[in-house]
Amino acid sequence: MAAHHPPFWPGRAAVSPARVAPPRAAEGPAASPRLSPAPPRRPPGYARLSGPGRRSTMSDIRHSLLRRDALSAAKEVLYHLDIYFSSQLQNAPLPIVDKGPIELLEEFIFQVPKERNSQPKRLNSLQELQLLEIMCSYFQEQTKDSVRQIIFSALFSPQGNKADDGRMVLLGKLVSMAVAVCRVPVLECAASWLQRTPAIYSVRLARALVDDYCCLVPGSIQTLKQIFSASPRFCCQFITSVTALYDLSSDDLIPPSDLLEMVVSWIFEDPRLILITFLNTPIAANLPIGFLELTPLTGLIRWCVKAPLAYKRKKKASLSNGHLTNKIAKDSATGADKDCHLLYSKLHLSVLQVLMMLQGHLTEKNLYGRLGLVPFDHVVPLVEEINRLSDELNPLNASKEIELALDRLAQALQVAMASGALLCTRDDLRTVCARLPHNNLLQLVISGPVQQATHAALPPGFYPHIHTPPLGYPAHAAHPALPAHPAHPALPAHPVQTFIPGMTFPYRPIR
Amino acid sequence: MSALCDPPGAAPSGPPQNPAHGAHPPLSSQELAQEIKAFLSGVDPVHGNKLTIKEHARCAILLLRSLPPARSAVLDHLRNVFDEYVCTYLLELESSEGGLGARRAQGPNLDDVVQEIQNVLSEFVRMNPKAWAPVVSAWSIDLMGQLSSKYAGRHGVPHASSLNELLQLWMSCKATRTLMDIYTQCLSSMISTCPDACVDALLDTSVQHSPHFDWVVAHIGSSFPNTIISRVLSCGLKDFCVHGAAPVDLLFPTAADKRVPKIASVVGILGHLASRHSDSIKQELLRMFHESLGPVRDQQQKATVPFLLQLAVMSPMLLGTISSELVDSLKPSVLSQLHQHFAALPREDLENMVSIVVHLICQTSAGAYRILQFLVNTAMPASVITTPGLAVHDSVREACDRIIQLLLLNLQKLVYNRGSASLGDAPPRAVPFLDELKGHVRELCVETLRLERKRFLWQHQLLGLLSVYCTPSCTTDALFYLLTLSRSQEELGLATQLYAVLSSCMSDLLPATVKKCVCQIHMGGLSEQHMVQLFHNLALIVQWEGEGPASMSAQLGAVLSLHLYDLGQLLLHRNPEVAEAASLLLSVCPLPRTIRPAHLLVIIRSAVHQFFLVLHRQCPTGISYSTRLLSRLSGASPAAMKAILQQLVEGALHPGNAELFGGLAELSAGDDASLEGTRISLLDINRRFTTAVNFSGSVWSVFHAGVIGRGLKPPQPARRQEPEEIVHNVQNFLSLLLRCCRGGRYGAPEPPAHTVAVNPEAAKAVAVVLVESICPDVTNSELGWPPEEHTRSTVERDIQICRRFRDNPLLFQLLRLVAAGPPALCYCSVLLRGLLATLMAHWEASRHGDTTSSPWHLHASCALVACMAEGSLLPPVLGNMHEIFHQLAPFEVHLLLLSVWDYMRDNSPLPQKFTFQADKGLFFRDFSRDCDVGKYLCVLHSVLHKNIDRLGLLSGRFQT
Repeated sequence: MAAHHPPFWPGRAAVSPARVAPPRAAEGPAASPRLSPAPPRRPPGYARLSGPGRRSTMSDIRHSLLRRDALSAAKEVLYHLDIYFSSQLQNAPLPIVDKGPIELLEEFIFQVPKERNSQPKRLNSLQELQLLEIMCSYFQEQTKDSVRQIIFSALFSPQGNKADDGRMVLLGKLVSMAVAVCRVPVLECAASWLQRTPAIYSVRLARALVDDYCCLVPGSIQTLKQIFSASPRFCCQFITSVTALYDLSSDDLIPPSDLLEMVVSWIFEDPRLILITFLNTPIAANLPIGFLELTPLTGLIRWCVKAPLAYKRKKKASLSNGHLTNKIAKDSATGADKDCHLLYSKLHLSVLQVLMMLQGHLTEKNLYGRLGLVPFDHVVPLVEEINRLSDELNPLNASKEIELALDRLAQALQVAMASGALLCTRDDLRTVCARLPHNNLLQLVISGPVQQATHAALPPGFYPHIHTPPLGYPAHAAHPALPAHPAHPALPAHPVQTFIPGMTFPYRPIR
Repeated sequence: MSALCDPPGAAPSGPPQNPAHGAHPPLSSQELAQEIKAFLSGVDPVHGNKLTIKEHARCAILLLRSLPPARSAVLDHLRNVFDEYVCTYLLELESSEGGLGARRAQGPNLDDVVQEIQNVLSEFVRMNPKAWAPVVSAWSIDLMGQLSSKYAGRHGVPHASSLNELLQLWMSCKATRTLMDIYTQCLSSMISTCPDACVDALLDTSVQHSPHFDWVVAHIGSSFPNTIISRVLSCGLKDFCVHGAAPVDLLFPTAADKRVPKIASVVGILGHLASRHSDSIKQELLRMFHESLGPVRDQQQKATVPFLLQLAVMSPMLLGTISSELVDSLKPSVLSQLHQHFAALPREDLENMVSIVVHLICQTSAGAYRILQFLVNTAMPASVITTPGLAVHDSVREACDRIIQLLLLNLQKLVYNRGSASLGDAPPRAVPFLDELKGHVRELCVETLRLERKRFLWQHQLLGLLSVYCTPSCTTDALFYLLTLSRSQEELGLATQLYAVLSSCMSDLLPATVKKCVCQIHMGGLSEQHMVQLFHNLALIVQWEGEGPASMSAQLGAVLSLHLYDLGQLLLHRNPEVAEAASLLLSVCPLPRTIRPAHLLVIIRSAVHQFFLVLHRQCPTGISYSTRLLSRLSGASPAAMKAILQQLVEGALHPGNAELFGGLAELSAGDDASLEGTRISLLDINRRFTTAVNFSGSVWSVFHAGVIGRGLKPPQPARRQEPEEIVHNVQNFLSLLLRCCRGGRYGAPEPPAHTVAVNPEAAKAVAVVLVESICPDVTNSELGWPPEEHTRSTVERDIQICRRFRDNPLLFQLLRLVAAGPPALCYCSVLLRGLLATLMAHWEASRHGDTTSSPWHLHASCALVACMAEGSLLPPVLGNMHEIFHQLAPFEVHLLLLSVWDYMRDNSPLPQKFTFQADKGLFFRDFSRDCDVGKYLCVLHSVLHKNIDRLGLLSGRFQT
């Protein structure tokens, strides 16, 4: 304990030595708190747990802090809560973050005045930077993950009050700073935070980071890129939140090219990155609504599929607005667009690869056919958006783009269904895709029966209920689609294993 | 698996460096952490020494490049650098001013750091203007504001009012210049898309640091005039919308009123730009106005008009810029749009707005007349003549009507509540609207005189206010124009009404007005028609009756009489109409109690001349005016009467006028053709130079002689006038003469015709003139008659006299007139003698059988005898004998005339023989005191006896 406090609280002992009751190091089974993905809710028995003794502690702390200036008060409150939660963790494996500490934090870190008429102490920008630095160091030096997590959670879990804005702004700066100085513990905490916080807040963090590193400071994207090696888990959550943010529904929501390039390079370097959260999280039966998904798969599929159409629309709008009248700007824009198309192709390939390796993981976790990582509910709006976009763009001008989008959609659907990531019947799919423009590949995917590839992990005779072969076809027929479609001999043949022939998979399923 | 899933809590071993990052290789995370510490503590973490300001700044720049969340802290820190720089700069300036020499060593030279900061920021702005420009521009502008305020009081810094010096100082300081460059870059990078964010910062700072910050505004404004103007206005409008469109006290916002803070800086900024870019401002304001009337109505559009009004209230400059143009654009369609726009507003707001508008109109100077015209035109009720498409909506008209009435009310308040100038404590508050209208008094008067319903009432009221506002110049102007331009009684009524209003509050109004009129006339500021109109109008007013003693008509006469001399000069105006009008005016205006004789004589001479001129022109009204004038003048004084008579008679006898009365026309001296071009009467010209010098009488004789040596005169062309005209002229002339003889009692009941009462003095004057003009030779011209034989010595003179009588029949009339005022005829003795002698000679020499064969001589003889009888020179019987002349032989007439001569020789015609009878006011001669008349009747009786067959009937008449 003494090892990590002196550098962090310099001069602290001189201020109030009596108060320094070094928290006993919390060891043992409580070391890794099991936080549910749901936001921390106070249990009904909260009043009982926060006894009079605890309350008096909090008010004591508050009184001692009131006399201090804003910055030192902020430092002190962190210190006190560190002690407080450390001791709690010794008593209970899963301490309750109750109202007292959160109010303290709101008052002294986020500067929400508690009394109505009191003048709020404001940190100036320099002090704020100091506070950020202190917090970074704190999380870096607190060795116990459980303490870190609980402090982080107490600091930044949205409370649904007016302090939330300040909370989000400070969180954005903290994570941004952690990225810059590579504070892995902060990033890990942020990853957990992203996972168990409603998506509307997660998206705000993602936007703050994108603004900082992709928009504002030129060249700083490299700093963010390096995080890949430091905290893959954070990267995975970051990708998920970024795909949730940039859904290509309008021109403003097309991902910046720097961001796209970075995401693609991450995934291309290691496609398993996508699955990290999924593989490291105990899976609840039902995914909660309003939170980020377990994997960015749906979002990435959306990117790949919608990108050709969205870029086309953006180009059209800018041409009609006359913003890009000069030739140079037009050239550079088309050049950048070309780069982006390459990136999306690359991304699409990686997504398909990940989907294909997913089957093994699902089987391993005994979730095959039970957990749809690409929820059908999300596919439906995707198809509708494509439909709307292709209507919106003149089909004569955008036929190539529409073709590409539908091809990618068909491939993604096919592979997702085949790998068990998408759980739906072919009839469902047919209904959803009925209004889409004609596409040969898609036609094949939604009409043709799929030869279920035999999988080593599947016991013979086991079929996912969705893939019940039609009657009259033998379960192990080799290529049932071919005789059904003699007109298309050149099309990629089923089954999916031969979809990309010659592709070797250097990855082993993660165990 | 473990590599990915285990949290890599151990310190990461420096992520691989990416060299793609240009000149600034990214720091490792440890290095960066060190830099953060150094930046926060200001201490070098490696060596432990304190960072210099330069190192600290470089550290900050480094963080700016590599630590995104630190940007606001870094920008805040960099403020210190600029502050330090400015402080040093000013110190250097002071010390160099103080003669201490340039002590450059006071602080580190920060030029390079400032340059680095600029490089970094401008790079950022260039890379991503959308994200950086708002942040950086707000920072730079705020910093400039802070610096300007902070150092405003310093010794070397000029006062905020001297903008140019301030601009020079700050622009020569690298720190502020750099900041300005940075802001300029931000603004220009955003200018095509949306510069609102940048301009908003400018406005905010301008509010905060107002006077000291003006140099920034001025500089930026002149760099981007159009953008700044339009954006400043739109930001101001937005702010105005947010703060509520109508503050309670718009007219007189107190300094403490912080409700509309930005508008003040909008006004300030536009004020700076106005000197160079007033056109752009005007365009922009008009554009805003017209756009606000468009069909799409959001809150902002609705607030535009109140906003513009508010701007105008706060800045007279803007008001002046926009007012005149705005009026031009208010077409009926625009007006009805405006009407629809405001129809929905609550009543209070509308009242408020109208009062602002009225206030603004009062404050308008340029184009005030156009505004007035616009209001009046719009408020006029629609007439049948108006084109249907151009007619304004009824409620628009009512609104305008209301605005005019409020305007008049407001002006009245302003005018009558002005501090009195005589107190001298403060100059009276100016009303620009009225000041501007000063120059348009004439137009206003013309408009008013059109007497169009409603509008002339407004204009008349306005004239009154204007007159009170700038008395006396406008007052006299207005009255002068009204008097000059009125063409009817009704129109003239406006002038008197205006006078009635004004006379209560100012003295000496009428004299000043008349003086103004006279000055204008003599300056040549009036056309001849206007002069005529003015005189007619004045005369009309003078003649008005039934008004109180304070009224204009009652006082005008007295005032006019002071300018008699000035007006009198116009009697000889080359335009006869003017002269006529002048004579009308003079004839109605009362004569002053005292008048300088010189002036009087000038007027008299002019009036007489004018009289003959109108006789020549046969202008009845002119004759009547002249007659009235002369007879009135003759009442001024006995001397005046004499002068008039003298001049009238002389004039009548003048060859140029003789033909008017049946006399022979002036014999043109010489070749008509050669002199045709120079038929300028020297006399005429001479008369026109009438000054105080009196050429009394002699003038007529000077040019009498004619040219010698031209040989035979050409026969006189028979340009005889019609007998009726001659009779008429003679009638006019004599009646005038008679009136004058009676001493100007014009309008008094005519005495009965048979008792022609002529003032003896007047008659004497006429007689003297007659003698002087007919008989220039004064030898042997005593009153007493010599023996008949002596006539031989005066034959030539007598013949001349006779010829004059023959040439001008008027002379007999004049003689009769003289005879009517005994004893004046005595003074004509020489004429009578000459005439009688010539006639006697004629009859003696005549070889005709009867006298009717020489009709003129017969007529002359009869007239002469009758005249002498009338003048009491002959006793009654002797004076009756002319009744039988036409029935006698010439020799008999000769004998009879000889007996007359004898009587005259024995009873000299001397005035002392007459006695004054006070009851009749006349002189009377008692013939009984003379010797017996019987001996002179012998010849008569003999003649009667000889012709008893024809004259027997008459013998009774010739008995004593």
